[in-house]
Amino acid sequence: MGKLILRGFAERKVRALLTGIAIALGVALMAGTYILTDTINHAFAEVFGNAYRNKAVVISEKETLGRGDGPEISILDEATVDHVRAVPGVAAASGSVQTRAALLSGSGKRLTSGGGAGLVDGVQPARFESFTAAKGHLPDAPGEVAIDQATAQRQHLKLGQRILIAGRSPARRYTISGIAKFAGAESFGGGSVALLTLAEAQYVSGEPGRYDGINVAASPGLSPSALASRIRAVLPSTLVVRTGAQEAANQTAELEEELGFLRTFLLIFAYVALVVGAFIVFNTFSITVAQRTRELGLLRTLGASRGQIMRSVVAEGLLLGVLGAVAGLFIGIGLAPALDGLFKAFGADLPDNGTVLQARTVIVSLAVGIVVTVLAGFFPALRATRVPPIAAMQEGVPAPPRPLPSRGRLIARFLGLLIVALAISAVTKSKVVLPILLILWAIRGAMLLSRARRAGQPRRCRMIPALGRGLGLIVSWRGVIGRLARENSIRQPGRTLLTALALTVGLGLVAFISVLASGAKTTIESAVARSFAGSLIVDSAQHGEGGIPAAVAPAVRSVHGVGAVTAVAFTKGTVRDLSKHGAPVIEEKSAITAVEPESFTKMYEIKWEQGSSATLRSLGERGTVISKKLASAHGLHVGDRLSVLTPSGRVVTLTVRGILEEEVLGLLRSLTISRSLAYSAFGQRQDGAAFVAYASGANGGRVEKGIDELLRREFPQTHSQTPAQFTKEESSRVNQFLLLVYVLLALSVIVSLFGIVNTLILSIYERTQELGMMRAIGASRRQIRQLIRYESLITGLIGGVLGLVIGLVGAVLVTELALSSSGYELSIPAGTLILLLAVAAAAGLLAAQIPASRAAKLNVLDALAG
Amino acid sequence: MLPRTSPANSPETVVTTPASATIVQATELSRRFGEGDAGVDALRGVTVDFPSGRFAAIMGPSGSGKSTLMHILAGLDRPSSGSVTLDGVELSSLEDAALTKLRRDRVGFIFQTFNLLPVLSAEENILLPLSIAGRRPDSEWLARLIDAVGIRDRLSHRPAELSGGQRQRVAIARALASRPAAVFADEPTGNLDSKSSGDVLALLRHAVDEFEQTVVMVTHDAHAASFADRLLLLADGRIVHDGGAVSMEQALDLMKAAA
Repeated sequence: MGKLILRGFAERKVRALLTGIAIALGVALMAGTYILTDTINHAFAEVFGNAYRNKAVVISEKETLGRGDGPEISILDEATVDHVRAVPGVAAASGSVQTRAALLSGSGKRLTSGGGAGLVDGVQPARFESFTAAKGHLPDAPGEVAIDQATAQRQHLKLGQRILIAGRSPARRYTISGIAKFAGAESFGGGSVALLTLAEAQYVSGEPGRYDGINVAASPGLSPSALASRIRAVLPSTLVVRTGAQEAANQTAELEEELGFLRTFLLIFAYVALVVGAFIVFNTFSITVAQRTRELGLLRTLGASRGQIMRSVVAEGLLLGVLGAVAGLFIGIGLAPALDGLFKAFGADLPDNGTVLQARTVIVSLAVGIVVTVLAGFFPALRATRVPPIAAMQEGVPAPPRPLPSRGRLIARFLGLLIVALAISAVTKSKVVLPILLILWAIRGAMLLSRARRAGQPRRCRMIPALGRGLGLIVSWRGVIGRLARENSIRQPGRTLLTALALTVGLGLVAFISVLASGAKTTIESAVARSFAGSLIVDSAQHGEGGIPAAVAPAVRSVHGVGAVTAVAFTKGTVRDLSKHGAPVIEEKSAITAVEPESFTKMYEIKWEQGSSATLRSLGERGTVISKKLASAHGLHVGDRLSVLTPSGRVVTLTVRGILEEEVLGLLRSLTISRSLAYSAFGQRQDGAAFVAYASGANGGRVEKGIDELLRREFPQTHSQTPAQFTKEESSRVNQFLLLVYVLLALSVIVSLFGIVNTLILSIYERTQELGMMRAIGASRRQIRQLIRYESLITGLIGGVLGLVIGLVGAVLVTELALSSSGYELSIPAGTLILLLAVAAAAGLLAAQIPASRAAKLNVLDALAG
Repeated sequence: MLPRTSPANSPETVVTTPASATIVQATELSRRFGEGDAGVDALRGVTVDFPSGRFAAIMGPSGSGKSTLMHILAGLDRPSSGSVTLDGVELSSLEDAALTKLRRDRVGFIFQTFNLLPVLSAEENILLPLSIAGRRPDSEWLARLIDAVGIRDRLSHRPAELSGGQRQRVAIARALASRPAAVFADEPTGNLDSKSSGDVLALLRHAVDEFEQTVVMVTHDAHAASFADRLLLLADGRIVHDGGAVSMEQALDLMKAAA
């Protein structure tokens, strides 16, 4: 039997190759994702290791709300450093500053690649400093800056040139005094770093005299961990004391968590491609089993058991899965840099040194590839076992339909599934598992019933013939060739459906996402038009750089012709409900918006569930308005008291004054508080944006120019936008994300192309004699080529139309059922959807190239002989 | 409607039919398959003409080269040496495209396995060569043809809904639809019962007698051969007999002698 499997495999080389590639591509994306994220991780672990190697102990502020959510302000100052210096065993201690800032050339051009934020580092005493000067010297005067070598090379920066640094204070110019290397490497994990003197770094961070951390060196013979516990004993609990090694591990873990999102995001697309691959395996195996009916019948006549037939088909799937997965793994190694390049093209610069191939990558990729292939081949294998021995004697004996299960078996299966579902619900505590299972079971039951009514005959597929005939009309002008293509494409509706469905998966997702994205753009546009009553929005010019300095709003206010400015800040807090017994935590890390109530109500239209503009104006330091979602989720009412743990570790008590309706722009989040409270109790030191209204009678154009001049001079990291410009920028951000998703979904579409090629080649093989006859009675090679192309075109269009319908219906349902309650609008991007159909048609034509020329090359006499 | 006269009973047919122009002419045809020692000579110097408006049967044992001869005459295969002229066109000089066009416009084919397209109706199958050529059918000719093959009430049916005899009659109508210079039939009765065979052969006879078509039929059925005006017998790639109409018994005797 084993020999037969190998022989059969070799015999069906082309289909094995095409099917194998279909699996390999999905596996490749999976492996590539793991390799890319592992490589980035590894690069950063190395960077952090180097950064903390020469620091025995590092002191930082506690991140009260968990990783990444510390207060913006700092409580460390020179007094804290002195306190640490006094601890026995401390050889040296030095405050450190590290802050995000925009690095700009003298002419205002950003120096960071991909638009990410730059880092500003205060120069440390030599024993703590990981940077060394490759050229010139590290800054020792206020006007000097050293820039990392990679950035200097990329931007052609030279000693003596001047650059602009804009953090949380008005921008300042610095002269390049040195080009720096980080622990011998050209860059700090791919990011751009500017080194300033400590005092200048403090200025950039907006907090003169304050530090972000303290580096400590131990006296000889004292272990870092012993020193750490000594220091911990004398410092308040709001500070965290870690050894250098612990800090490096901590930062690496933090980054790993962030990369987890990227990994999950990419893996989704890998799984989509694998689902498409599974369709193709299933289809190919089904066709192969159908074509081998006679052979299988012969094997049964010669005494092969059903088990042996089953094993032979499954073994073929296993072999294919192994080959596909191994190939995929190797392609994945090549794909990882391409993915990295893709993210670079979309503005995310990630460090990557070498290729990290972990055992996990190999095991998971191979296992998933093999399991998917074997599972997809399992059902055709089951069908193969039902081929009766008589099939060896006769042409075209179909395998009998699956027997209807007996009542006892049905009950047993149902109970089994019920137990599994209950177990899953119990473990995951999810309420949806059981209803979903019951619905699926009901559908299955209905199908079984209708089959029983037809006495076990499988249902005829009606949709595909109708769809194929309808879509076939577009080639009907090509006369008999078009007509033949139309009929041929639906000759085996099940096969056409599976082939088309592979394409449907990718295109359906594209349609789904494009409709949702279009809705998002429309929603933003109309929400801005509806809610925003101001003239300008000032925010960070570069997405991802964070907020704007707190000094922006007062500075803009002083521009001539400005009527009002209101700043909005974003923070977080852990909310407890004091009105309930034991004051349970009702939301960890609630998103909080801080506004200046008086001016905010003039520039932003709020939809109230309960309350009015007057409510907001009388908010005060101890009042809050909450979102309807939070209120209804936790049964909160006006008058309830909440306690909020702030990022700086303080606890404030707030009274609910009003409830807001859902807000699609996401400006007003779970809680809205006053900005002054955010600055005093939440450790806030920057704003998210500032809204500007012109004074009545002011010349809008002139005021805008005045504001822009101010921003360019003092805050070049910010910019002003009219509501229309703001909407446009948001749209283009959505579009950029869409483009990334399209590129990743393209892989699934490519996988489905292999499926179409495969099905076409198989069906040509079955119709060899027919094609030979057509050639004999005078059809030209060109006509045969056209015939195959049109068939493929129709299959592609069937896939496209199904994808379009499924994606559209899905998006409409999601919008109507889940999103419309929060003000989300539905918008259908007709142009994109038409383009999608064109892509489906092009996919069909492209897939037909090789099969069509194979069909056209058939030798007439050989073909006629069959 | 169909003339059920057995031509074997009227040997004078050959004599009474006026001598006519040669429509297919083969000169010194040789065909070798494979190379070197493993090569097989299917034809060894065959020279033969087929006059217009006649029904010729080619017989011979398996491997005698009869199918190869027909394939070469019809432009489906090329000889290793020698030449074929069909309706005044020298085939060896033609490229594939021109050869395809020639088959489309001047040759009709009838196959043992009918070779109808299952997705087309009977009528669409009949019109297929014309449709492929993008030509309009001559409706008067078509009506005569459909009446002659007797499938008018079956025109909208698909091949799967027709009997074997009906399918072959559709195939004959298809072969005649473009009024080809010559019709080549390859074992047209090979897959049919005796009743259907009789119908099909009478129809071919009718095509020659009434429609003035030229039919060249390869068969190893002596009964089929008895419908022809002329019998060619091939053995080992050579013509061993070339004569007028024969009865079924005469054909069987000739075959025995050749084997």
